[in-house]
Amino acid sequence: MSRKPYVRQMSKTSWFLTHSRYKNYMLHEVTCIFIAIYAVILIVGLFRLGQGPEAWQGWLDGLRSPLGIIFQILAFIFSVIHTWSWFKVVPQAMRIQRGEDFVPGNLIVGVHYGVLAVISLFVLILAGVA
Amino acid sequence: MSTRTITMEVLRYRPEQDQEPFFQTYTVPCDPDWVVLDALNYIKDELDRTLSYRWSCHMFVCGSCGMVIDGEPKLGCKAFLKDYGDKIRVEPMANFPIERDLVVVIDDFIEKLESVKPYLIPKEPRTIEQGEYLQTPAQLKAFKQYSMCINCLLCYSACPQYGLDSSFVGPSALALAHRYNMDSRDVGRKAREDVVASHEGIWECSFVGACSQVCPKDVDPAGAIQQTKITSAIDYVTSFLPGGNR
Repeated sequence: MSRKPYVRQMSKTSWFLTHSRYKNYMLHEVTCIFIAIYAVILIVGLFRLGQGPEAWQGWLDGLRSPLGIIFQILAFIFSVIHTWSWFKVVPQAMRIQRGEDFVPGNLIVGVHYGVLAVISLFVLILAGVA
Repeated sequence: MSTRTITMEVLRYRPEQDQEPFFQTYTVPCDPDWVVLDALNYIKDELDRTLSYRWSCHMFVCGSCGMVIDGEPKLGCKAFLKDYGDKIRVEPMANFPIERDLVVVIDDFIEKLESVKPYLIPKEPRTIEQGEYLQTPAQLKAFKQYSMCINCLLCYSACPQYGLDSSFVGPSALALAHRYNMDSRDVGRKAREDVVASHEGIWECSFVGACSQVCPKDVDPAGAIQQTKITSAIDYVTSFLPGGNR
């Protein structure tokens, strides 16, 4: 008897809607778009700074506009989700063996949050906020 | 012992008469401690002997009875009916062609498994007279987790990357390559590199992590792949340093 295997194709456009774990994955992927846009805004800010006080002030005003504030709040929320979802899986990629034991995953994640806190504090001090 | 009646919706595909798969419903009287595989065996023995599915050990060792149960890749022998409602939907593993009913074609995986050379490649082969390859408990621990893979392929069923592009070597094969790369007795990393560090290998993985979430043996293929990415990236960078091969 001849074989006739049946192939079920995965939808290239809606596969991530088929399971909650795929939706979570897409969420942590999509959040990087906001971080990327925010990075571009900061780079533009550097250029505006180089163009003189008026250009710099215009850039600052843009950030302080209602639209700018809404975007920054969204970018902050998404960057928190991005950080949380990536730090959560770090122990899988970073497996540190000491003798016959492995460094506990929650310690590795904790150190990441600690370093993040220190760098954030440093940046806030540099910015004159803290 | 009290019995419970459940409704099993099983995806059927009989290539000699069906153009496409369809769900067939069975009413199964079950013991409370049964697993899904027991219910399938009841159907096979008492209701419909044409139903096809793979199984062997009934104790999550052989890896034969992988299937999708209520949308989740599971071993039929490890899915207890008490954890499900009165209606259970059983499908063959996703991302593989269906041969018949719950039996899928796994030829693609077998070829990929072979391609990563999943066996010890020692620096110098030893004769029996020379004795065994010695290893400390710490050296064993470095790879033991990845050696627990039973090739059940639930990871492939869960992996959207493999579903979207079947040229991807895939979670289990790459985890097994990592298992041998991490073995102190093995020197085969370079020999596996062409496949493992290729675009279709580790770099095709976008770390969805579904493979590790469904693995019934806690192998963590996603972790193995990310660790291999780090090693491969270090190899690439160091190849530009003095003494490197670039």
